[in-house]
Amino acid sequence: MPILEVKDIHKRFDRSEVLKGISFSLEKGDVLGIIGSSGGGKTTLLRCINFLERADKGTISVNGKVIFDADQHDLTVEQQRENQLNFGLVFQQFNLFPQYTVLENVELAPRLLKRYPDAEIRERSMSLLKRVGLDQKIDRYPCQLSGGQQQRVAIARALAMNPSILCFDEPTSALDPELTGEVLKVIRELAEAKMTMIVVTHEIAFARDLSDKIIFLDHGVIAEEGPAKQVIDNPQKERTKAFLNAIQK
Amino acid sequence: MVQEVMLRLCAGFVKTIELFLLTLAGAIPLGLIVAFGSMSKFKPLKIVVRFIVWIVRGTPLMLQLIVIYYGPGLLFHQNIWGMGTSGRFTAVMVAFIINYSCYFSEIYRGGIESISKGQYEAGQVLGLTRRQVFFKIVLLQVIKRIVPPMGNEIITLVKDTSLARVIAVYELIWAGQTFIKSDGIIWPLFMTGIFYLVFSGILTVLLAKFEKKLSYFN
Amino acid sequence: MLMKKEKKVKTSSKILICALVLVLCAAFAFAGGKKEAASSDKAYVAGKGTLVVGITDFAPMDYKEGNEWVGFDADMAKAFAKELGVKCEFIEIDWDSKSMELENKTIDCVWNGMTLTDGVKKAMATSNPYCNNAQIIVTKKGIADSLKKAEDAKKLKFAVEAGSAGEEAAKENGYNSMAVDTQAAAVMEVAAGTSEACIIDSLMAAAMVGPGTSYPDLTYSVALTTEEYGVGFRKGSDLVPAINDFFKKAYADGSMMKAAEKYGTQASIIPQK
Repeated sequence: MPILEVKDIHKRFDRSEVLKGISFSLEKGDVLGIIGSSGGGKTTLLRCINFLERADKGTISVNGKVIFDADQHDLTVEQQRENQLNFGLVFQQFNLFPQYTVLENVELAPRLLKRYPDAEIRERSMSLLKRVGLDQKIDRYPCQLSGGQQQRVAIARALAMNPSILCFDEPTSALDPELTGEVLKVIRELAEAKMTMIVVTHEIAFARDLSDKIIFLDHGVIAEEGPAKQVIDNPQKERTKAFLNAIQK
Repeated sequence: MVQEVMLRLCAGFVKTIELFLLTLAGAIPLGLIVAFGSMSKFKPLKIVVRFIVWIVRGTPLMLQLIVIYYGPGLLFHQNIWGMGTSGRFTAVMVAFIINYSCYFSEIYRGGIESISKGQYEAGQVLGLTRRQVFFKIVLLQVIKRIVPPMGNEIITLVKDTSLARVIAVYELIWAGQTFIKSDGIIWPLFMTGIFYLVFSGILTVLLAKFEKKLSYFN
Repeated sequence: MLMKKEKKVKTSSKILICALVLVLCAAFAFAGGKKEAASSDKAYVAGKGTLVVGITDFAPMDYKEGNEWVGFDADMAKAFAKELGVKCEFIEIDWDSKSMELENKTIDCVWNGMTLTDGVKKAMATSNPYCNNAQIIVTKKGIADSLKKAEDAKKLKFAVEAGSAGEEAAKENGYNSMAVDTQAAAVMEVAAGTSEACIIDSLMAAAMVGPGTSYPDLTYSVALTTEEYGVGFRKGSDLVPAINDFFKKAYADGSMMKAAEKYGTQASIIPQK
């Protein structure tokens, strides 16, 4: 049974239909890369999965249990929040909380939601920060860190709530080129540790190496999907070819 | 004479400080409620609150004082403030707190709306409730942004307390002016300026300290 | 960066202290200010060609008819200016600031049914009294009937103008009184029910309360003290003897009484001898 099953997601903003029926599934421990041109609906899809937008139609299931159904409106706020916690999200703009230190950023949600005993939260947070290579900077504030460091903190923060699936929304787009490497390295290590992930990215080479499966999203539909190397190296559809050509030039 | 003047000015100054502190204590929290009202997704509430804010900010505080204190008796023949000093003080507090809540609410609204959507979303995807997102994440950032404009309003309030005299609450200016009326001496009125200057000077320093305290983050 | 900021704070507190010292100096300059009029006030007024009269809107002494100020005081002021050979100009002032206006030379006299209280006599040079006035109790109609003499009003809560003759009268009679800003505010207190009674000038009461006024439900009853009106000038002004001579002349030739009859104040005029 796949860990995530997305069925027929539709989303419309005013007049334009951004998602026109997206379905895919993801196995536990796999990495899904989502590529496509701007305005193709990649970010909207990720936001629908993370409950930041409400899809107009479709369902989302995790481990066989339906956690979102567009036709069902009677979910309480608490249930919705609980369902949403199956996912973690790393933003393009990091969105760290500026008034908190690195450690406080990571610990805030687990402490407020009383997920674990305090001592355990500290222990887990420290080990997460060590994992992203920032255990020496726990008392710094976000404004004292480089963009790459901030994004690594954001990854640790997303992991702190122990999500089943970690999502990335163009995690390196806001970074200077020389800083992307350190973030990509962390994501790659997570993939090696069999973290289930969905990565929306413009870094085609990275997506190819990292992902088990790639979806090419174009004008709100899945234009092509398949094993990463096949989609990137040997695309079947004209639209995919055109996109890959344009981006690699 | 100098001693007599200082004594009476100090008594007036105590009333001025009372007006100042109680207005802040009332208007700072009430302003937040007004701000939420003016940003409400429930349209009728939003319209009503913004209309009230428009009226309060669009008319002089002195007029509001007179209307609030004399209005009930003059227009409806129902004096709600009773007679004597406590009713006057209460009326002044009501007028001041309403007035300053409206001014503060606009500052709060500007501050709240200046926080990026990403901060709310980051809190939301971590599973925090809306209340937690507001109080644990957004509020301090809002406070940092509103300290300078709030400082301006607070300094203005120091001087606005002198309006209380129109309904005979004996604050500092009143105390200074009585010497002109009863003894024909003018300098005590000028002396009140020193009290205001010292007081607003102290506030300026405190506000600068507070601002500095919040300068550790962006 | 930190150092710089601290330095800034220090400079600003220095500026603050300097400002305070300046204000202090100014305040004491006023306190110890010289009292002697530099030269002849009469010559000063003649030199600029106008007599600037500080007034408030106070029927029947000074009030506006169309664009012109009229009233018993206004007419007398015009006559006095004519006698001095200068133009007469009326300026509405804040009553509380009248002595400041005088010393500041923004007006030359206060001629506005001004009661000669001790405070007024201390703050300015004054003419001989020319008109009698009474301090009178104003209440709502229902209460007035139970007031026969000053004693009866002791249970009432009064509003009086701060520093006015009315306030002095309230103190002398042992009334429970509250000082407010102006006589008009005192009357408004009674109308709004925030005070039960007020004490104002009888001449003003005649014009302000009762049928046909803004306050038809109010009425006036017991008269307390009587008092006198005078004209105020800068301290040491030589216009004081000039106006006293003018009053004598105007009383003797009947023009003063004629003006008084025009505005209904003839019964209150004090003979000028």
